[in-house]
Amino acid sequence: MTDNLLLTTTVGSFGKPDYLTKARGQNARGKLGATELEELERKATAEWIRRQEDIGLDVLVDGEMYRGDMVAYFAERLEGFKIGGLVRSYGNRYYHKPVIAGPVKRNAPLTVTWFEYAQSLTSKPVKGMLTGPYTLLDWSYNEAYPTRRDAVLALAEIVRDEARDLERAGAKYIQIDEPAIHARPEEIEIAIEAMGIVTAGLSAKTISHICYGDFAAIYPQVLDLPVDQLDLAMANYGYRWLELFDRNAFTKELAIGIVDVHAHQTETVDEAAEGIRKGLRYVSAEKLWPHPDCGLKTRTVEECVEKCAVVVAATKVVRKELAKVPA
Amino acid sequence: MRTTVIGAYPKIGDALEAQELRRALHRRDRGEVGDVELDKVYDEVTRAAIGEIEGAGVDTVNDGQIRWDDLLAPVARSWTGVEQGPLERFYDNNTYYRQPVITGPITTTGQSLVRDYGFAKGVAKARLKAGVPGPLTFATLTARDDQYRSIEERTLAAADAIAKEIAGLAAAGARMIDIEDPAVVAAPKYIELAREAYARLADAGHALALVTYFFPADAVLESLASFPVGVIGLDVRSRETTAFERLDAFRTQYVLLGVVDARNTRLETAEEVAGYAERALKLLPQERLILAPTTSLEYLPRDIARAKLAALVEGARLVTGEKVPA
Repeated sequence: MTDNLLLTTTVGSFGKPDYLTKARGQNARGKLGATELEELERKATAEWIRRQEDIGLDVLVDGEMYRGDMVAYFAERLEGFKIGGLVRSYGNRYYHKPVIAGPVKRNAPLTVTWFEYAQSLTSKPVKGMLTGPYTLLDWSYNEAYPTRRDAVLALAEIVRDEARDLERAGAKYIQIDEPAIHARPEEIEIAIEAMGIVTAGLSAKTISHICYGDFAAIYPQVLDLPVDQLDLAMANYGYRWLELFDRNAFTKELAIGIVDVHAHQTETVDEAAEGIRKGLRYVSAEKLWPHPDCGLKTRTVEECVEKCAVVVAATKVVRKELAKVPA
Repeated sequence: MRTTVIGAYPKIGDALEAQELRRALHRRDRGEVGDVELDKVYDEVTRAAIGEIEGAGVDTVNDGQIRWDDLLAPVARSWTGVEQGPLERFYDNNTYYRQPVITGPITTTGQSLVRDYGFAKGVAKARLKAGVPGPLTFATLTARDDQYRSIEERTLAAADAIAKEIAGLAAAGARMIDIEDPAVVAAPKYIELAREAYARLADAGHALALVTYFFPADAVLESLASFPVGVIGLDVRSRETTAFERLDAFRTQYVLLGVVDARNTRLETAEEVAGYAERALKLLPQERLILAPTTSLEYLPRDIARAKLAALVEGARLVTGEKVPA
């Protein structure tokens, strides 16, 4: 039986359909109301749940149709933050970088309603999706707290409350993304301490996504991050992070990125399957989760579908191979 | 007390009318405008950036690097033997760059930055400096190298190409050139390699500044004092540093001190800026101290960048007792 081996998933975000991109623009210019926008966000969420089921993914996400940026979404809804001016992330892409202007506080749950809605549309599990405290700080300007650690620990309490609310709402998987964790390797202890606050007492499986940075600089210390599963971009790096596991064994579950998300063309099924086989040298099939390298929000809907379909097809190939191997 | 800027200035502002470049690039991507029209927009935005930097009262300005997608892009695009590869985060910023991929011997005509410098020269009223990426940063941030067998070979090949760019800029009239090389402090183990590379850049005809940022120079500070450049740039705000206690290591060089944090929106007061300058002046004569933001102001929204420059200039004037014009 290989059904529970190599569970496929995605990192969280998907490309928004054109009608929603347009509607978000209209909303930003005051030409479309919040209720009308939310209707379209719900429609797009339902479409993505159906697409994920059609593609055959095992553990689903809500697709983040209602989020722009993974930090700004939370910053816009938390007391103490203000939304800063536009800064460039790369090329011609800009975002409103948040400013921590005062003590941070959560007045109400931020993601639970969307989780409940997405989960109500499918019998497959949907992950609860949060941004981790270290990344919330690192991708914001800090004007309020005397040290970075002070700010991270204050944010950890907020993320903890949100994670507990997601668990109460039925989330079996809670992903707390820390893509900035290697921004300052000398601060890894702060990120670990903060994650300890977030995940203490949770019974859901906890996951943290890490991408685009010098993973080698935080390995093996990152194994102390108190989550069950690390979710890593690998294809974009030619799987070179796996070599680190030769020197220090990888001790967690591994969600392994097997297709690059920043390229318009997708890897072949054979290439992606080879990525899974590489991962299997270090992590058993029960603990290895194939997925795309990162969130897919910068890709078109069609490109997202294509990339996810390759992940699922490659996984089927490798599952078949595993089924042939006598136990 | 002299002031200057480093690197890139914000390309757009928050007001819709300040987003012409963003719109023009979208139109170009959709095939609605060609390169000629886009170039005009780039020039206009460059003109505006120089105007804002000068307007703040900064003594030595640059062109704001409006055409640069990232520090390495202008050379990665123009050098033969180099392509732009996958995206990666630029050090500890949530800002990305294209990693260079080396496919063959690096060659250049040395004209990669001359056109932009010439345009800025026609616009700037204040003293104008040019900028180039540093050889160690280029070499350490390369994603793949099919040509050179070691980091040493790659760094020196990059240095030779950068020397040509510097010669090209000098021929176009540039007398001051910043070499932005954060890797010198991010990867201090390569300090002797960097020294060898800088020996290839040295030329008495113009003032070269080795500009570092993001990381303290603590591990290499005394070494930098013997580099063959006229100016050393140090970021004293991004992390804890012992630089203030060791500035007397620089016996002849100018020190370009990054005292205004270009990566946080919290605005320094003029008194704070003056305070940093006064700490430096304990070990460095005033004529060899230049105040600057820590790095590119492009890490900030444009209105904050403007306010940071105002604080910088006001702080510098406070040190020397000059009156700030209303």
